[in-house]
Parts: sequence; structure tokens; C-alpha cells
Amino acid sequence: MSSFADISSTARAENRVILTEQESKTVLKAINIPITEPVLATNSKEAANISSDMGFPVALKIASQDITHKSDVGGVRLGIDSQEEIAEVFDQMINTVKKEAKGSSIDGITVQPMAPPGGVEVIIGVTRDHQFGPVIMFGLGGIAVEILQDVSFRIAPLTPVDAEEMIKEIKGYKMLTGYRSFKPANMDKLKDLLLKVSDLAMQESEISEMDLNPVFAYENEVVAADARIILTDS
Amino acid sequence: MDKERKANLDRALNPKVIAVVGDKKITDYMWLKSVKDAKAKVYSVQIDENDIPGIEEMGIDNRKSISDIPEQVDYAIIAVPRPVLPFILADCIKNNVGAAAAFTSGFAETGEPEGIELQEKIIQMTSEANFNLVGPNCMCMYHAKVGIRNTADQWIGEGGNIGFMSNSGTHATNFVIRARSNGLYPAKSISMGNSISIDQGDWLEYLGDDPDIEVIGMYIEGTRDGRKFFETLREVAQKKPVVIWKGGQTKEGARAAASHTGHLASDMALWDAMIRQTGAIRVDTQDELMDTMKALLMMKPFTGENMGIIAQTGGQSVLVSDAFGSEELKVPALTETTHERLRPIVTVVGGSYKNPLDVSGSLTSVERATEMLNGLHDDPNTDIIVMESSIGFIQRRLEKQGQGLDTLIEGLKSFQESSKKPFGVIATWNQNEGELADFRKKVSDAGIAVFPTFQAGAGAIRKVRDYYRKQETLGTK
Repeated sequence: MSSFADISSTARAENRVILTEQESKTVLKAINIPITEPVLATNSKEAANISSDMGFPVALKIASQDITHKSDVGGVRLGIDSQEEIAEVFDQMINTVKKEAKGSSIDGITVQPMAPPGGVEVIIGVTRDHQFGPVIMFGLGGIAVEILQDVSFRIAPLTPVDAEEMIKEIKGYKMLTGYRSFKPANMDKLKDLLLKVSDLAMQESEISEMDLNPVFAYENEVVAADARIILTDS
Repeated sequence: MDKERKANLDRALNPKVIAVVGDKKITDYMWLKSVKDAKAKVYSVQIDENDIPGIEEMGIDNRKSISDIPEQVDYAIIAVPRPVLPFILADCIKNNVGAAAAFTSGFAETGEPEGIELQEKIIQMTSEANFNLVGPNCMCMYHAKVGIRNTADQWIGEGGNIGFMSNSGTHATNFVIRARSNGLYPAKSISMGNSISIDQGDWLEYLGDDPDIEVIGMYIEGTRDGRKFFETLREVAQKKPVVIWKGGQTKEGARAAASHTGHLASDMALWDAMIRQTGAIRVDTQDELMDTMKALLMMKPFTGENMGIIAQTGGQSVLVSDAFGSEELKVPALTETTHERLRPIVTVVGGSYKNPLDVSGSLTSVERATEMLNGLHDDPNTDIIVMESSIGFIQRRLEKQGQGLDTLIEGLKSFQESSKKPFGVIATWNQNEGELADFRKKVSDAGIAVFPTFQAGAGAIRKVRDYYRKQETLGTK
């Protein structure tokens, strides 16, 4: 398994500071953060084979070193249920992305299992502040983070008390304690995830920013369904 | 800060010999006057013939340079034009001065190339020599018991227990003056100015280690080394309360901060996060700073949430309950035992012996007030005792017994001494303001926390309660 150092030096050799989803998830997996694992397919037949091994439903995402906002260019399709649908979506996606993101190099499309339903969507982020250094952010995903900006911050390194308090501090905390069809999120696993992200941010000074978005929080586990790591400029 | 620098800074803050460099007639010799009552020998350094006679008239020995002073100088206050500062600093370094504080301004805070360049030069000089420079662009240092001051208007004397550090000279100066009229005793107040040689983290560490200081307060706009500040705060806030008043919270304020002390503004969300995770206390105004310090220093430590309240009238009892309710504090029902105890002494029709007590005309003497306070105190449902004091109302009744507000304050003081629960007084602005100010001063001089509004009292009590709770979470106290 590649270490962060290997992955970052590969990226730098290619003059990139933005790691791909696959690279970012490899970094996370190496420190035992649960992820949905993307597998690269270069044609629709490969994709169909991979997905039948994986089991449906799956998600398809464009694999390109040049594209960071995959969904903005039509590069994400979720909840695909059959081999037939894969064949259709694969070629469609390649064509759309070629149009929407002209000139981007495309490695193929990754196939990954869909995170199961019933999880609360949260976001965990890292940024390196010019004054304070690595800073950790926590919030609910989707509208809560984008419109309400209901997030909490702590300066790394986090203590277990910090991790717990930053989860409880957000206004939407009650969403994590169970409501309607959602079971209460596993607080210990969520805290553990925050602490692992904090350790990574402290250890790897080359990480400038990192987003785990979304992370799905379930009763028994937490899973990062997408991730992006950005390296420092130098 | 290494041992040598700390020892030198100790020497400057407890000086045997002080040199004031460049003090002028036109500023009424403000710096010589600021140290004239210090327990130290004071020299002046001035070469301008127009300024020297006034200095000598004050009976101060004037010299042409620091090198001409026959004793080792511990603390130098420098008020010279900015191009001259490097030369005076070189003299201080050569003569092993403990620390210099530079009132001189016009450096990076101007944002202009000349000032920035000059500041770079000073940074290089002080760091090469490992020399303590306070400021530049500051109001120097205050240490009550040795008599050095930010301004001659400040009180000096024994017994201070608060340490204050400030990016702004105005706030360093005024904190001390206002604190004294709130019954608080600052020990040291440091105007950090551009803090190029001793930064915010250094000062925090210094005040954290100072055995005289029980509570640290600060007015801060930014810090050059946020990580060092964070790590220091994490340690210090577990030793003693640190109250942080952050200026430059909005984008508008941040612009003002940048032009004020040459700091880059920082994001308030991160400051807020840092304050929460270190267990420091955030305040947003000087008023909150005063009230929070009173609750920290004058009230017994508490983690509870249940208020036992005496209000003088019905209208006040509603408002006081609202104020505490909106700060996550409760005004619980008292036990039946307490009701039986209070019913015979809260007798006025329309009054209430239930929490909050609406004592109306029933508070007829200091003894009666004490009985009521003890009733609340002994109830197992209360954690914190507060008395709303509409002084005009109380005064009219006490006068009939030949008692006055001074007797009341004595009674409150005795109650506080015997009480196991924290106690505070709220004296709101609904009365004669001049008399109220006088009453508050007397109450706080008696060592009782007195708050000027319901919201101020509730806010300060909540902040301090949260502080003690956080310390409990952190497992340090």
C-alpha cells in the first residue's frame, strides 16, 4: 500500500497539488479510516465486471487528475442498479465530461459501492491557517454546510474532549442523535475519525487542505464516500 | 522565552534603576511622572536644552546617554523620534538593560515602507542580542506594587492579583483605572504594542508563571505566532482563568486592527474555537471583562445552574428571571421547608416567598435581608444566590430602622463570608445613577461581585459557570 509520501511525490512529479479521489482515499485507508473503495475501469465492460463483483448499487465517478469538482461537469452518477445501466452511463459520462471539461485528461471511470442508506451525512475538513496551522472542521453535510454554515472548528491536535465538543457544538447535533428513520450515529467512531484526521494533519505538513465530504455516519460505523486532499504549494 | 530573558524581564518589572529616555516638556514629562513614585532610582536621558530644565526642576538626575548613568539600568522607557530608536536600543543592549519599553511609534503599524524597514532593523537588533523590547508603539508596563505605570493616573499599591496584556495602549491603561473602581486589583498591565521581541505567547507564559497573578485578562487583536499562542494558552488556561477580549472580530474591525498594531487580522471562528478548546473565557466588551473578573475573583467557584434570587419588586423579579433563563440558568422552585421559613417574613400582600422572592415592602431591615438570604442559601435546590438591589426602594425602608445602605453592605458582606454558595448583587440602572455608582463602588470594595444589569449579571455568571465546568471536563480542578 502506498504511503502518503509516495502519493504526494508522485503528484508533485506530475506538477499536481490536488490528489485524486483514489489517491486521497488510499491515504485515508492507510490510517484505517473506512472508505468506499473506488476501482478504476477504462471501459464499460470492465466497469460492469467490477460492479458485479462489488454488488449493486454502485456509484460511477469520472477519474481525472484535472477535474476537482466532478459533479459540476457531469462526472458523478449514484445508485446504479444493473449491468445494463452501467453500459449506458459509462459512455454517456465520458462524452458529457469531454464536452463540459474540454481538454481534461481522463483516466477512466471509477466504480465504487454505494454507501448504504440510513446514514447521516457529515463533512470533516482540514485547512492550514496562516496563524494557527492545521485546523479541523466538522459539520452536517449538504445544505447544512453550504447554506447554514453550521460547522465547528478546533485547532489541531484534537483531544478526545475537543472531538466530542466539536460534534455537540453544531446546531444540527440533534440530527446525529436519531430522528425519524435515522438511527443515532455512532459517536465513538465519529470521534475516532476526527482524531485520525487530526493526527494526519499534524503529521503531514504537506497537507494544505482536506475534505471528507460526504462522510456517512451510521449506528455501527462511519464511512467516507468521497475525499479530496490538496497539498501545499511548495 | 529563555531563562536569561525571563530573568532580565523580571529585573525590568521590579527595577532598582529606571531610565526615561527622551521625555519632553511638551508632553508634560508624562513618562517621568509615570515612574516618579516607583520604589526605584529614576534617571532621565535627554539632550534637548529646552527639555532639560523642567526635568531638573523635578529633582531628576539628567544624563546625556544611558552609558553616562553610573548604575546598571534595569528598565528603560524610550520616547524618542523613530529614527533615533535603534541608537538608544544599541545603548540599552551595550549596558545590559533588563528591558526597554518603546512609546515611540511609526513602525510596521503605519503600513509604509519606511516604518516597516525600521521595524525590521529593530527586530534584527533585538533578536541578535536576545534583548527584551516591549513595544514599540506601546504604553509600556504597569506593576502596581513597585509603582511603574502606563500613566500617572493609575493606582499603585500592594495586593494586586490580576495580570492584563493588551495590543492597545489605551486598553492596557484604562483597564487598570476602571478595574480599581470595580473593586478589582490589577497587579500588572502590559501594553504590548507591536510586540516584536516579546510576543503574545511570551507574555501569556510570563503572566501564567507569575505567582502574584490569579486571573489573566487580555485585549488582543491578533498574534504573530498563533500556534505558539494556542499551545501556551492550552497550558496556562489550566493553571488560572484567562479572559480573552478579542478586537477586530468583524471584517470592518479587522481592517482597523491591521492599521492599528500592524497585525494581520485573523478569523474569529478560529479564535472562538481556540478559546473553547483551551478552556479560556471569551468576552466581547470591557464591561463584560469587568463583570467576568468580578464573578471569578469575588464569587466562590460554582458549576451549578440553579439561581436563588431576591428581587425588590414584582417587575424586577420577572426581568431577572428572564435574564438568567436566557443564559441557560434556572430559577427553580424552593422546597416546602423553605417556603414555610420564608412565608412569615415575606408578608406584604402582592409579594412572593417563592423563587425569585418578590420581597416588596418586607425587606425592612438588614436582619430581615439576611434571614431571606439564608433561607435561599439553605435550600437544597439553589446553587447560586443573587440579590437585586433597587437602592431607592430599600433605602426608604431601612431608614425607618435607623439603618442605611452602608449597614446593608456590611450585612451582605457577613452573609457572603458565612455562605457556602457563591453570591452576587445586581444593582440596575433604574434608580438615581449617581447614587447607584456610589453604591456599586462600595459593594465591590467590600469584595462582593456587583453587576450593573440583569443581563450583565446573568452573562458573567454563565461564563464563569461554563469556565468551571470546562475545567472539570479537562480534569484539572
